[in-house]
Amino acid sequence: MGAVTYPNDKVVKFVDYNFVPVQIESSNTALMNQFKVTWTPAIFVLDADGNEIHHVVGFLAPEEFIPTFMVAKGKYYFNAEQHPEAQGMFEAALRDYPDSDAAAEAVYFMGVSRFKATHDPKNLRAAYETLTAKFPGSEWTKRAAPYRLIPE
Amino acid sequence: MALNICWLDDLAKAKEHARQTKKPILLDFFNPQ
Repeated sequence: MGAVTYPNDKVVKFVDYNFVPVQIESSNTALMNQFKVTWTPAIFVLDADGNEIHHVVGFLAPEEFIPTFMVAKGKYYFNAEQHPEAQGMFEAALRDYPDSDAAAEAVYFMGVSRFKATHDPKNLRAAYETLTAKFPGSEWTKRAAPYRLIPE
Repeated sequence: MALNICWLDDLAKAKEHARQTKKPILLDFFNPQ
């Protein structure tokens, strides 16, 4: 990460604009144990109280790092019930990185966020349909499978 | 001039900044070797 992803200009701008970045060496056993980290790189997104929102283990190239953490920031807003902001992050990930590994998760949480904001279950069904059309092999398509039963 | 991420090295300080800025924390555990 330190050699490829973190020096990337787009990543630097993205991280500094969207997050409070903190880097902890693996020799800090207290924090490693607190977060149950047994392998690095391990990257967490936390709220200001330290609650975990998202975590990833292993290398991410810049073109996967940015959409992965766009979705994570969307989940930060989603957890805070800030649905317009959450949907904005999911939309940005889908618009700018439609082929990334994070795109299917963005579709899933977009549907759930729209449902929570409107209470209209058709948003869940729409997410399922988009997932089956665009990401048939994704774990998020499997997780959305029950939404196929929602009437159109 | 190359850009760099302005990493903090203290989680407590990061929580303070997160409260002030209303941003989430990106916590990266790394092995420097």
